[in-house]
Amino acid sequence: MQESALALLARAGIGMSDDAVNSRRLALVDETGQYRFIFVKPADVPVYVEHGIADCGIVGRDVLLEAEADLLLPLDLGISRCRIVVAAANADAMTKVQGMIRVATKYSQIARAHFGSRGIPVEIIQLSGSVELAPALGLADMIVDLVETGVTLRENGLTVVEEIAVSTGRLVVNRASYQLKTEEVARLVKALESTLNGGQ
Amino acid sequence: MTSRIPAGMRYYIGAEARLRRTVEDVAMSVFEGWNYEEVITPSVDYYDLFEQGMGRAEAQRGFRFTDNDGRLLALRPDVTSSVARMAATLLSERPRPLRFCYAAPVFRQQTQSHAEWRRENTQLGCELIGVGGTAADLEVLRLAAEILARLNLQSRCCITINNVEIFNGVAAHLNLATAAREQLRRLIDTRAAAELRQFLQTLSDNEARAFSQPTQLTGKREVLKTARATITNARSIAALDSLEELWTEIESLGLDNSFEIDLGDVSSLDYYTGLSLKIFVHGAGASVGRGGRYDGLTGSFGRAEPAVGFVLNLDALTEVLGRGGKQD
Repeated sequence: MQESALALLARAGIGMSDDAVNSRRLALVDETGQYRFIFVKPADVPVYVEHGIADCGIVGRDVLLEAEADLLLPLDLGISRCRIVVAAANADAMTKVQGMIRVATKYSQIARAHFGSRGIPVEIIQLSGSVELAPALGLADMIVDLVETGVTLRENGLTVVEEIAVSTGRLVVNRASYQLKTEEVARLVKALESTLNGGQ
Repeated sequence: MTSRIPAGMRYYIGAEARLRRTVEDVAMSVFEGWNYEEVITPSVDYYDLFEQGMGRAEAQRGFRFTDNDGRLLALRPDVTSSVARMAATLLSERPRPLRFCYAAPVFRQQTQSHAEWRRENTQLGCELIGVGGTAADLEVLRLAAEILARLNLQSRCCITINNVEIFNGVAAHLNLATAAREQLRRLIDTRAAAELRQFLQTLSDNEARAFSQPTQLTGKREVLKTARATITNARSIAALDSLEELWTEIESLGLDNSFEIDLGDVSSLDYYTGLSLKIFVHGAGASVGRGGRYDGLTGSFGRAEPAVGFVLNLDALTEVLGRGGKQD
């Protein structure tokens, strides 16, 4: 995400020198001096923006859905496209659901909301990585995870049963900043928007 | 265990407590200057009152417990519900308009967003009951602006105003089903421009195009002009007219630097019936106040009459003033 986001920003005229990016500093100013960048983990992006420490952020939709963050979402940047899916060993797993299912995932909110909206009782097993292992080892019946190419799923004997959502990188904006720094935010949105439209 | 403090609760000590008291005094003296009577409402009341007054989704955030007879009680999650009931029952015979103000803590077991850490917030608020129209709307807006000015936040704040009937008129005109209406509302609320345009393409009508460019929803007078270019239904036009009338008054008072029109503020459509407002201050990551017209509320207590009001969050204001706005 970070690489494609920086590339997009550079095309929109908000560039940073490679030296600066590679310096491992976590807060940088761009070459025009108009923007200050903060590099944080994906899950922390909505936190910084919701608190207004950062006015804007770039983060995947998967993170936003999981965090249930209260933010403005003016632009879909279309970068880092992937899918949030339900996967199991058998393609017809959903038709064989009886009583309740065990779902292993890093995305417990998304999983709970997805199955909840369909009235399927689930036991959510929260993992922090290598979710694909869970069904093979008998920890869970299914998983909810992010899929880019599907190779990892196949290698672990899993197939996609359902697609929950498509996730792409989004520009998010703090609600107060949107009102208090209207022009600055509009300038950033416009620069990114015209870059996206020009690229198509 | 007694060393622990529940989540969302805190102490105010010394200088911070003094600052908090000062802010409260400033607000209350402004209210008093406009002839608002102070009211102290019960801290504990029937849960039903709040469900009726705030809607279920909001009332459910409150702390709940039961009375001796088994009825559900709540630690007040807002003050407005109680004031509206008082106006419709206890004070039904009093000549209108009624003007009330308060400084009172409200409690929410569940906060609305992650950024909202506190579960006890003191609301500085006012309610003007029994008069409708631009004059009443303007009065509460002037009160809000005056309090912010007295706190020296004038140049660092922005009060956004909208009339929810603009959206309601468009939604009614389009005959949207409940789910589609909620989807349109959510897309406007989050300013999701691309999804919004996609959604609007599925509609045959042009009316909703007024909302297709989120950046054009926020600004000064020109926002109204842009909206008028596409909106034709009578309900929305009437709302645009009254918003424009209000804006003209704001301009003539020279207050337009502190105000902005935001037609995209559609966050509490079910509660407000006309004017809605939000108050933002540099240094606070979320709004520090909100309000609007709620003509439907007192009717549910047996006496329907116009009402308008707003609240400021004392704790959020104290935090911003205490930092001296260093965050920017």
